Parts: sequence; C-alpha cells; structure tokens
Amino acid sequence: MITMMSMPAPPDGVLPETAPKMRVENLNVYYGKLQAIKNASLRVPKNRVTALIGPSGCGKSTFVRALNRMHDLNPSVRVEGVVTLDDEDIYAPGVDPVAVRHRIGMVFQRPNPFPKSIFDNVVYGLRIHGARGRRHLMELAERSLRHAALWDEVKDRLNHSALELSGGQQQRLCIARVVAVEPEVIVMDEPASALDPIATSKIEDLIGELKKDYTVVIVTHSMQQAARISDYTAFFLMGDLIETGKTRDIFFKPTDKRTEDYITGRYG
Amino acid sequence: MAAAAASFHVRSAGAVRRRAVNALMTGALWAAALSILVLLAFFVGYILYLGAPAISWHFLTAPPSEVDAGGGIGPEIFNSFYILILTLFFTTPIAMAGGIYLQEYARPGLFTSAVQFCAESLATVPSIVMGLFGLLVFVTMLHWKVTALGGALTLTLLNLPALMRVTQEALASVPDAFREGSMALGATQWQTIRRVVLPSAIAPLTTGIVLIAGRIFGETAALIFTAGVSVSTGRSAYDFGLFHQAETLSVHLWYTHSESLVPDAARVGNGSALVLLVMVLIFNLSARFIGLGLSRRFMGK
Ligand SMILES: Nc1ncnc2c1ncn2[C@@H]1O[C@H](COP(=O)(O)OP(=O)(O)O)[C@@H](O)[C@H]1O
Ligand SMILES: [Mg+2]
Repeated sequence: MITMMSMPAPPDGVLPETAPKMRVENLNVYYGKLQAIKNASLRVPKNRVTALIGPSGCGKSTFVRALNRMHDLNPSVRVEGVVTLDDEDIYAPGVDPVAVRHRIGMVFQRPNPFPKSIFDNVVYGLRIHGARGRRHLMELAERSLRHAALWDEVKDRLNHSALELSGGQQQRLCIARVVAVEPEVIVMDEPASALDPIATSKIEDLIGELKKDYTVVIVTHSMQQAARISDYTAFFLMGDLIETGKTRDIFFKPTDKRTEDYITGRYG
Repeated sequence: MAAAAASFHVRSAGAVRRRAVNALMTGALWAAALSILVLLAFFVGYILYLGAPAISWHFLTAPPSEVDAGGGIGPEIFNSFYILILTLFFTTPIAMAGGIYLQEYARPGLFTSAVQFCAESLATVPSIVMGLFGLLVFVTMLHWKVTALGGALTLTLLNLPALMRVTQEALASVPDAFREGSMALGATQWQTIRRVVLPSAIAPLTTGIVLIAGRIFGETAALIFTAGVSVSTGRSAYDFGLFHQAETLSVHLWYTHSESLVPDAARVGNGSALVLLVMVLIFNLSARFIGLGLSRRFMGK
C-alpha cells in the first residue's frame, strides 16, 4: 500500500452520479482471428471523465475505436455487441456511421493536424457540416481555440501551417478541431503520450474544463494521469475489462487482485 | 590516415580485407554514378552541338517544307502541345478516378485484382503495338483517317496505366492519420478524399503528371500510324481540328531522318532533336520544382 501513497489523490469533491451517456454491452472485437476485446461492458457517465487504463496491447485503443465506429474503416475488423449513445444502438442497421462520428469526436495518440493552415484545421469540421462565411467561421474558430487554451499562442498566425506548431500545440489544435464541431462525447486515445510534461499538464487541465460541456473518455497508460483527471476508471488486461468503478475506488480499494497488482506496479 | 587508424585498432587480415573491399565498392559505385552524369552531359552536349546551328526564329515558327530546303517546325511544336493537352484531358480524369477507387475504396477481391491486373498488362504493351491498335480502331474501323484525336486517344490508352499508378502511389503516400482525423470529425469518405487526401497528395501527383506529360510529348511510335506524318492539310498550319492530321515534333524527327525528300533533312532533324530534348528536360525539371514548391506550400516545410 506504500506505493499508493505516492499516487496523487483522485479529485476530492466526489461528483454526483450522472446518467450514462454511453453504454457498452458485451462488446467483442476481432482483428481477423485475433480477439482483441472479450465481452466488455461499460457505462460512460455524462459530463464525467472516464479513463481506460491497462498495460500496452491490452485493447484500450481497440475498445475506444469501437465507440465511434472507427473500426468500420478497416474491413478486417469485426465488432459484435451493443454500443449505445443516449440509449440508441450506434451499430443498429440503418445507423449512419458518419453521423455517429459527428456526435462522438476523437483525438488520437499522435497529433494529426492536416497539412493546412491553423485556421483551416479548426474550421475543417465546421465546413464539412456546412458552415460558411469567413466572419462566422472566424468567431467559431476563436471560440474553439480559446476552449482548447490555444488562442493566445496562435491568434497572430492563423494562416500559418499547422505543422509549424509544437507537438503539444498541435494536439491542442486537434482538440480544438473536435470541440469546434460540438460533439457530445470526446474520445481521446493517449492524447498526451507523445508530449513533454508541460504540454501534458496543459492537456490535463483542458480535459478538466471539457467535462463541463462534454462527456470524455480517455485512454492513458499513466495511472497518475488517470488518478489526476478521471472520475471513473476502467482497467483492461489482455482484452478483458477486469474492473470498472469510481476512480477512487479503483485506486484505493480495487476488488480484483489483478487490478491491485497493476495499480501497485506489479505489471510493467 | 590508415596508419593513424592502425595505431588505434588491432587489425586482423580479415578486417583489412573487408576495409579494402569496402573502399573498392564505394569507389566503383561512385564511378557508376559519375558515369551517368558524364553520359548525360555528353549526350546533351552532342545534340546541342549538332542542333544549335539549325535553331532560328524562322526554324521554330515556319511550316515544314516537303521538297525544298529551309523548312521549319512551327506546326509540329504546336501539334505536340495540342496532342499532349488532348491526351491529358482524356487521361487525367479517368486515371485519377481509377486510382482513387483502387487506393481508397476498393476492398480486396476479384474485381480489384482484375482491374489491377489489366492495368499492369496494359502498361507493358509496346507503344508501336498500341499504335497499330489505334490504326485499326480509329483510322480503319471508325474511318477517321489519321487525326489529332485518334493520336490523342491512342496515347490515352498508352498512358492510362502509368497515370493510374502515379495516382495510387501519391494517395498511398498520405498518412492514414489524416484520413482518420477527418473521418473522426464526421466527414464522409468523399469529403475526406477531396479536402484532405488529394490536397496532401498534390505534390507527388503533380510531379507524376508532369513527368508523364514529358513522356507523352516525346512519344513517337504510337503516333506514326494514328496522327500522321504531315502537318494539317486544313486551312492553317496551327490547326485545332480534331479530325485533321497532326504530325508532332517527335514524329517529324523520325520522318525527316527516314522518309523525307528535303535536301536539308539532317539540319531539320538535328534541330528538331534539340528542341525535343530541351522540351523534355524542361518537363523533368519543372516536375521537380513544382513538386518541391507545392509540398512546401501545403506541408508548411
Ligand atoms: N490493426 C490491427 N490489426 C491486427 N491486430 C491489431 C490491430 N490493432 C491492434 N491489434 C492487436 O490487438 C491487441 C490490442 O491492441 P490495442 O487496442 O492497440 O492495445 P492498447 O491500445 O491497449 O495498447 C494487440 O494484441 C494488438 O497487437
Ligand atoms: Mg493504444
């Protein structure tokens, strides 16, 4: 238990329970013959941050990519089970995956701004969904960039290529780009793993802000990060969702031996 | 230098031999690379030496002559560009659409393999055979006689596979992270292709198209039977008639050296060769610079 004392304490003010924004029931995901997610079920509470932790290769990315139907892009992936957004099954026949991804935005592990200007990156999704008019787009861009705590750093060079930004700025730009289209859920797959500590703490602060307006699911391989920023935590191991619960409970009184072993650092 | 190195390292006979072989191979490879440079310089120099005396404003603009000396190559230069533009006009949309389909949409299967196989086979057809095919279809079957349009369509067939390949490779060079980023914002696949993938591929695409344009510009065998060996019999030598014959510069070069009756055939041929060479080099150089410039502009580097 000594090791736990060195962990930062999870957010103290225990937030009231909220209704689930998304539910995952008996999810199985296969890459060809390899089953990467085995019968996982999870509730994602609204306006809360849910962290997915577990050793690398345990299926965290596979799991979150099932949340916004990103697996549809890869024909060799098979997804089974139910994933709901506001109690509607996003895998039901007739559901448009493009509409699903509009409502459930995603930020990736490696910042992936488009090779366009900063401005064009932020308003990309808005234009896709029909927004027009330079003035109007400018207002929305400013709002999103402020929301992503990037405005002051880029306001004088909106026409510069996004690729001139630092890694941390690029990642906040990618968050601004997602925020701009006002999804309901923002899924982040290890958004800070490629960043230095200062950039990481900026992203973490930002996530705390985002949950006021959005439901956030974040994958992280850093338990400290999960403890710092999340309200709920799910622990994965080799494709199994071992345990889920309030972050405090997962960290301080895990019910599963394997969770405890992981938290106390007995897995790599 | 070797002595200094020896004082630092214990050297076995094997190590010395490996070092010698390494030095020898480095030298041989460098010499091979250098010889390419020398060959090109010699080649260009020789063509320049032979062709330069023929070049004059009159030569570049005057119509060719059938029997007398003093003919020019103006209409041939015009026809080369005209057929090039016609060919690109037909080739680019089809090849790009096919390349986009194969690279972005097609899922592995019988149809995809069949299209890929046909394209590869088509790419290996010798241009003279394609010319014969053009002769049979456009000249004989459709009764067009030899025409600019027939020539351009023959060149379209000839270059379609290469341009499709260029498109596929250009698209393949775009990281999937861009596609995922776009799709994750709720873009459709077509929106993703049009707004992210194609703009990101613009540099290799343009470079590839310009290189192929250079090839089209210099193509000869496929045009002899299809676009003809004389310039237009229409009213003007600079003739946009799709159904008029249209001898290009490269065909003219072949013609003056093999069939022509003019007394100054050698002069005309050497001059044509020089102009052709310069044009093709310009295509190659501009492919480089356009590619570089575009990737700077779009990639922010
Ligand atoms: N595109 C893919 N094709 C085949 N197997 C994959 C693919 N992506 C991930 N996997 C496999 O699925 C398992 C889970 O991977 P992943 O979800 O990326 O784990 P994590 O994000 O937790 O590190 C691993 O065994 C990995 O090798
Ligand atoms: Mg991962």
